[in-house]
Formats: sequence, structure tokens, C-alpha cells
Amino acid sequence: MKKFYRWLVGYVSVDHPSVGLKQLPTAIAFVVSLVVLLFVPGIPITNQVLTASGIGLLFLATVLAALLTAWPKFARWGIVVPLIDFLAIGLYRAGTGGSTSLFGAMVVLPVLWIAAEKGRRYILIAAAGTVVALIMPYEVGILKFHDGTDIVRATFSPLVYLLVAAIVNELARQSRSQLHSIHLLVDEKERMLQRTFEYASQLEESEAKFRSADRMFRGVWAAVTEQSVIGTDVTGLIDAWNPGATKMLGLPWREAEGKRYVFEFHLDEELENRARELNYPPGATVLNPGFSALVEAARLGEAESREWTYVRDDGTQFPVSLSVTKRVDESGETIGYLFVAADVTQAREVARLKDEFVGLISHELRTPLSSILGYLELLRDDDEHPLSEEQEQYLGVAERNAHRLLRLVGDLLFTAQVESGKFPLDLRDVVLQQIVTAAVESARPAATAAGITINEDVSAGDSVTYGDPVRLGQVCDNLISNAIKFTPRGGSVTVSLSASDKDAIITVRDTGMGIPASELDQLFSRFFRATTATRNAVPGVGLGLTITKAIVTAHHGEMGVQSEEGVGTQFSVTLPLAARAAVTAG
Amino acid sequence: MSPTVVIADDDSDIRALVKISAIRAGLEVVGEAADGDEAWAAIQRTVPDLAILDVSMPGHNGLEICRLVRADSALDEVQILLVSAAADDASIAAGIRAGAADYLSKPFSPRELASRLAEHMGGTR
Repeated sequence: MKKFYRWLVGYVSVDHPSVGLKQLPTAIAFVVSLVVLLFVPGIPITNQVLTASGIGLLFLATVLAALLTAWPKFARWGIVVPLIDFLAIGLYRAGTGGSTSLFGAMVVLPVLWIAAEKGRRYILIAAAGTVVALIMPYEVGILKFHDGTDIVRATFSPLVYLLVAAIVNELARQSRSQLHSIHLLVDEKERMLQRTFEYASQLEESEAKFRSADRMFRGVWAAVTEQSVIGTDVTGLIDAWNPGATKMLGLPWREAEGKRYVFEFHLDEELENRARELNYPPGATVLNPGFSALVEAARLGEAESREWTYVRDDGTQFPVSLSVTKRVDESGETIGYLFVAADVTQAREVARLKDEFVGLISHELRTPLSSILGYLELLRDDDEHPLSEEQEQYLGVAERNAHRLLRLVGDLLFTAQVESGKFPLDLRDVVLQQIVTAAVESARPAATAAGITINEDVSAGDSVTYGDPVRLGQVCDNLISNAIKFTPRGGSVTVSLSASDKDAIITVRDTGMGIPASELDQLFSRFFRATTATRNAVPGVGLGLTITKAIVTAHHGEMGVQSEEGVGTQFSVTLPLAARAAVTAG
Repeated sequence: MSPTVVIADDDSDIRALVKISAIRAGLEVVGEAADGDEAWAAIQRTVPDLAILDVSMPGHNGLEICRLVRADSALDEVQILLVSAAADDASIAAGIRAGAADYLSKPFSPRELASRLAEHMGGTR
């Protein structure tokens, strides 16, 4: 029974069998019945016409099945084939003995076919087919009931086939449902497999990326040999120590990582001073106060770079410029700090040498100039031997040039001071109008001599800035004297002072030869001279604007320039206005 | 008797220029020195009314001599004028702190130096 069930299920659950395949058992059964009919003696052919019609119809049904198999798009008409089969079997049965025919049982085959189709209506169709095959011959008068047994047989058999059809239909339904579930499971499994493959390839890809990033990191880490990079946890315990740190502090990573604290490489005194500067109440923190001072800015998320002294294990010390940044995990929690330091011993030495050089220039150039200017003055003041007019003139030229040289020395020194950051400013509240007016007035004789009109346009007379009046005066003098130098006879120079909410703006506009646009960005570099200046033989060495800009920058101001060749140039100086409190206090 | 002066500068031309100015101001030059050690010796030897010292000299520099003079009670009366190539406020302040009466920056006008000397000496005599 179980075997039969399996066979049945196996039969009906062949996945989408073709019409031809479904017809095959019926066709084979028919061929077998024909062989039996022809070769087994004693089996009667009661009606040759009906038998031949049955064989013909079945042949037709089989050909149709073959055609439908060849053209699958018409496969839905496949149900016609078993219906023809019914008719064929009915006729064949009727022709081979009617109710006594051996071949009536073949009707089970189209019954199975139709009953296995999806839907309960096929039970009825199968039953109707059975009726057609078994009862129709009697009804239409081809066959006649011989006795009561015939009648019972003719009605009982369709009933049995109806039940078979119902069972098959149900089994097929269950089978289909199982098949559907299996299909779903298979699909799901395939999707999972696909996803697994995708994950695997993604994983492979990210692993490759990770490896490459890791290689890059290791490369960079090993390549940084001139800066020390030290990583610590939040307590300062070292957990990363690069080759630069090894080189700088003379300690291999094995002896530093996990064993030493970063503040052990600092001067206690410096850490204490910094802690005092930050107003740490002594003992108020669980951490080492020196370490807290070291990472204070980094802890607050600020980028800080300041000079510290590193101490090697052998006690030797050297200055470093140290940047401290915090390390955070995925959630943004601070997990430690990074200390990147560069040895500035050499930089300090260079700065010292530069200062020395500046001092030397100061002395060595000013001293001979003092002699030149002093003795020229003695010549001029010699009442016993008064100079001729011509001699006076020569002397004037010598004096003028000695003064020019002196100014140049002064400018050079000032530039050097600016660069070394030693740039003294005598700060106080400054009324800008006074500075501007003084500069214009002192430039007026030179402007007049050069045939240039000088205008003053002050719209913000009460502007006050916090600055060094002498240096700010120098800014105005430089810009105005430049404007006069670069403006041909007949031109004009306009100096104006205006103010916005926060800033005062001084502009010096001329109608001079202008500066080529391509040279504007180099204008403030040391010793740079515009081609218009050299072409027109305007004297100068290219320090004035460098100094002017340095002064403005030191006052937290900005310089701007607009120029058009042959039309003129406008320089603007923007200076922050003094806070109201500072003004009223001043 | 005219007031006495010791002049120290490692540059002989400047020394001569200072000397001319001093003479014009009516001072008597009692000592000249080309370095700090000579200058200190000349001041101790002559105890002048005024010492005109270059700030940067070999040996003791002007500021050091200034401190030495101020530390020596025998030299209380000696006034000091420092001459320097550095003209910034910080150097002047350092000179005054070291005990100098006046500070002159290079380049200086001999005429101006003479009048300042005359003024100083007029004040003391």
C-alpha cells in the first residue's frame, strides 16, 4: 500500500509532466491490449467498427498529445487528450465485449490524469469521463444491458472511479502543496546561499581593504622616524611607540609599551608650571595633575601644539614641539591620547643664529654709518672752513644716501624681528583719524614736489583701534609714500578712513601705473618688486609692503589690494575697532 | 677746570667723533679705550666726571662697566652715557637700569651729542 502510494504520488507529482508523458501509460496500455487482443486466443471482438473507432480515437489522442508536447504554448488544451481517451476506451471496451471486456480497467488511466489536475472540479470531470466511457455505449444504444449485473457494473464502476478520482485529486493536492512548500524552502535556501556568497565576497573585499589599510598604516608608522608618535591610554600608560620615539628617546618599544607613562619623559617642573597656569586645585584630580596639564586642551577636543622639554632615560633633555590629540572609540568615548613630537633643537639653534646675525648687522652696519653721517656733519659744521655751494650739494647727496642706507638697515632689522616673532608693539587706544591726518600732512611736501594732488577723505573720524600709534603711522606713511612714488606728475592720491560695525578701513588710492594682476599675490613678499616699478625705475628694495603687512597682521588686521595697470592701485587696511569698554576706559 | 671724560668705543672713528664732540662741549678727555677692560681701568685710574661707553665692546661691555662703576663707592660721582647701535626701548631701559645717566643710539649727530654733554656737565658743575 505504501509502495502504491509512493508510486501514485511519484506519478502525479512528476513536476509539470508534458502532455505526451501523461498520455504515454494510456498509449502503452492500449498497445498491450491490442497485442493481447490479437495474439491471445479466445478474446472476442464483438464489434469491429467500435473497436477500430476506439483504436483510431486513441491514436488521434496520442498524436494530439505529441503535438501539444511539441507546442507547449497549447499545453493548456492537454485536458482534451484524456477526454478523447475516455471516448476511445469507451468505444474500445464496447467493441471488445462491453461489460465483459478485459480492457475496461484502462479507464483508470485518464481518470488518474484528470483527477490529478488542480481543482476539485476535475473529480467530476474524471467521473463524467468514466460515465461517458462506461455508460454512454448503453445509453446511445450501441450496447444493451444483458442482465442486472451489467446495470450494476455500469453504475458501480463509475462510482468507484469517482472515489479513486477524489482520492487522487486530494493526494495530488497534498502533493502539490508539499511541492510548493518544498519549492519555497528551496528558493529560500537559494536566497540564503546567495546572500551567504555575497557576504563572503563582501567580507573578502573588506578584508583586502583592511589588509591594504593595515599595510599603509604600518608603512607610515615605520616611516615616521623624525617625529616621535606615542599613544597612551587615559592614564598616560604608553601603548604605542613608533620608531621615531625610539630614535628620539633612545628606548625600544618593548621597554616602553605597557611599562612606562608618557609624563616620565617630561620635566616635572614644566608639568607643574602648566598645571599651575591652568589653575588646577592640587589633589583635586584622580589623575596625575602633570598628565592632566599635558592633555588638557586635547581632552577638551582642541588641537594644541606647544613646546615642551623631553627627557631621555639618561637624563639628557631636548626641546620638542608637541601636538596632543585624543583617541576615541566608535561611541566617541575618549580611550587615550596621541603625542606627536618634533625635535626643535635645530630650529631653536637656527633662530638663535638668526638673532645673533641680526644683532651683528645692527652693529656692524650702523657703526660705519654713524661715522659717515657724523663726519659729514662735522664737515658741514666747520665754521672755519665754510663749504662752497657745490661742495654743500655733493655733501647733501652723500648724506641723503647714507640716510637711505640707514633706513634700509632699519627695515631689514625690522623684517628680521617680525620673522623671529620679536616684534615689540606699544599698545594703546589710537584715534585713527589723527594717524591718517598726520601721515597725509607729512607726505604733502613730497606730493607737491612731485606734482601730485593728495586728498584726505575721513568718514569715520571717531574710529578707535587698539594698537601701536608709531607702527600704525608707519603703515600709513609707507602706503602714502608708495602711492606718491608710483603716480606720475598730475595724478592724485586719495587717503580715506571709513568704518563698519567691527572694523576701521583705511584706503590709499592712487592714479598711478598699477601692478600687473599676475604679481599681486607676491606683492607682500620680501624683496619683491613689481615689474611696473623696475621698468619705471622707481627706487626701492621691496621691503616696505612686507613691513606694512607685518604691522597690520600684528594688529589682527588685514591688507587688501586692487590694481589695474595704467589706471591705478588701491591698498586697503582693515583694523578691528577697539571694544567699546576699552574706548571709554581710554 | 673743565670736567673730565673717558671715552670707550672699539671703533676708533666713532671714538674720534665722540672726542671731537666732547671737546666742543668743553670737556677734557682724560682717557680713551678700545675695549671694556681698558675702559674699566681708565675709569678707575682717572675717576672722570663722565664716561661715554659703547654698549658692545670686546671684554666688559658697556652695561657691565656701568654696573661695576655703580657698585664702586669710589666712583659714585662718575656719570655714564651709553652709546649703542640698538635703539629699541628694551635696550634703553636696560641701560638706565644698569645706572647710566643717558642713552644715545647710533647714528648720532655730533652736534646733538655736544649739546647733550654740555647740558649734563652744566648740571653737575
